[in-house]
Amino acid sequence: MEIRPILSALLRSKVSMILIGLQVALTLAIVSNALFIVSERLERMQRPSGMNEADTFLFNSTGFGQGYDVKSVQQGDLQLLRGLPGVVDATSIISVPMSESGWSTGVSLQPRQATSTANTALYMVDAHGLSSYGLKLVEGRDFRPEEIGFRSMNDRNVPTTVIITRALAARLFPQGGALGKQVYYDNEGPPTTIIGIVDHLQTPWLDADFIDNSSLMPAYLPYGNVTRYLVRAEPGRRDEVMQGVEQAMIQANPSRIIGRVRTMEQVRADGYAGDRAMAIILGAVIVALLAITALGIVGMASFWVAQRTRQIGTRRALGATRWDILRYFHTENFIITTLGLVVGGVLAYALSLWLMREYQAPRLPWHYVPVGFACLWLLGQLAVLGPALRASRVPPALATRSV
Amino acid sequence: MLTMTHLQKVYRTHLIETYALRDFSIRVEEGEFVAVTGPSGSGKTTFLNICGLLEEFTAGQYQLDGVDVRGLGDSARSRLRNEKIGFIFQSFNLIPDLNLFDNVDVPLRYRRIAAGERKRRIEEALARVGLASRMKHYPSELSGGQQQRVAIARALAGSPRLLLADEPTGNLDSLMARGVMELLEEINRQGTTIVMVTHDPELAARAHRNVHVIDGQVTDFDSEPMLVRSVRDGDASRAMA
Repeated sequence: MEIRPILSALLRSKVSMILIGLQVALTLAIVSNALFIVSERLERMQRPSGMNEADTFLFNSTGFGQGYDVKSVQQGDLQLLRGLPGVVDATSIISVPMSESGWSTGVSLQPRQATSTANTALYMVDAHGLSSYGLKLVEGRDFRPEEIGFRSMNDRNVPTTVIITRALAARLFPQGGALGKQVYYDNEGPPTTIIGIVDHLQTPWLDADFIDNSSLMPAYLPYGNVTRYLVRAEPGRRDEVMQGVEQAMIQANPSRIIGRVRTMEQVRADGYAGDRAMAIILGAVIVALLAITALGIVGMASFWVAQRTRQIGTRRALGATRWDILRYFHTENFIITTLGLVVGGVLAYALSLWLMREYQAPRLPWHYVPVGFACLWLLGQLAVLGPALRASRVPPALATRSV
Repeated sequence: MLTMTHLQKVYRTHLIETYALRDFSIRVEEGEFVAVTGPSGSGKTTFLNICGLLEEFTAGQYQLDGVDVRGLGDSARSRLRNEKIGFIFQSFNLIPDLNLFDNVDVPLRYRRIAAGERKRRIEEALARVGLASRMKHYPSELSGGQQQRVAIARALAGSPRLLLADEPTGNLDSLMARGVMELLEEINRQGTTIVMVTHDPELAARAHRNVHVIDGQVTDFDSEPMLVRSVRDGDASRAMA
């Protein structure tokens, strides 16, 4: 290998080498951290909410006019919705995962406990809640119709039964056996018995550190004259049901407005819009940086080939094959890229530490840097290929041509 | 050492054909020192390029040290060039970013010679041209004459059978030119065949034999050389007539 003479020749023209090396170093540092952030965001966006998203949609019904009885309208609506063709089930809700809006509270194992044992989101549902959300009951039972009561916003009475997620059960009772246990949602109030455990249901807040801790309580809870419904359609019939639901509701009671009809897929898209935007922007930055680096290498290598045309002809005259010339430029690029990558590796970890300190970002996993090394090596070799091929085509007769 | 018979080199564009060499025949025996002279554009450099396998020819035959070079691929030509031929260029053609040691090392690396053997050859070649103490110097730190000596050392390090010199003193003053010429003569005395293209009649006179080229053809030999005898005996005589 010609590494030593190439390196010593490079050291004679340090500026070009330093510029390209620095570009490679910065690219590695930024791209590896940006890739990690993108992959984190994508992973975050893939998190399951725990509910059936493909077949469900939700909407608000806002009543107006004197004599609008929200309770009776709600009961009539639920009956109507459950009877619509293509509907599997429907329930009234206060929130859904990923909506960034809902209720939360602390759960304690003892009354008047100073600090809650866990935080949890609260979902108010009726006996059709589990079916409408599409939740999987793994232990215990569903709510019975007689357990469901109307609640007002200021009602302090906590329901006596609750269904919680497996994650919350594990948090409250790490040794297991949560089913049937009593917990306190109100420090001053009576205990609530855990009657069921569902596999998974996210809280409405995507950044919550208790995102998997959810509690379902048996209650109807309209906000004044506003009721929110969640409808689960038969697989493949969601859009068809959605189209007809507004008209059916208005026909049943014209003293209201039906609004914010959204599929859970839309809720997910809205919930993760920030993450998606971040992933797209960082993706564009990664592509732009890699392209600029590749173009920098192409430009510098092309310049060197043009500058050394006679030198290449001399090398050919002295016995270098085309392959030798090709290999020379690839080796030269390999050396510059490697030096840049070594610096870039250190910079990548330094940048990660800074992001951790300033933005509480997670630590860059170690394997991102070696993967970045490999990618940038490959990029460098691909970028230099064109100029190197041009160099390999320089004829040996050029050595004898007068300057 | 080398035999060219009825060699032709034509440069073609879509409009014209230019004959750089026309029915060119020559034979150089091992150990000879031949000077090739002729006016500018006569075909001297084309002859040297073909001689050194730097260019292909259009028609005719060329045997270098018993190898018929016609039809050889680029890699085979490169190998042959590397193993059998040493080049000395008018502009020295040293690589400015390499020190003298690494400059002399260039052709040896392409021959895949082991590092120890390369080092021995480089030191020996640089000592032979009187520059052993300046191995770590760069070409820009040397005079023109010294640079040409390095180029000669580079050519010698590979122990070539044939040394091709293209106006080796063209860029040197008379004192330095004399020194380089004396070095070439000494190399020739030690058995290396030399073909030198030159404009300088004084230098040409110091060669064993002069070959004059005009319009791509050999027009004159200055003595009763071996090559004339051999050409008369063979097919090439028609070309020389």
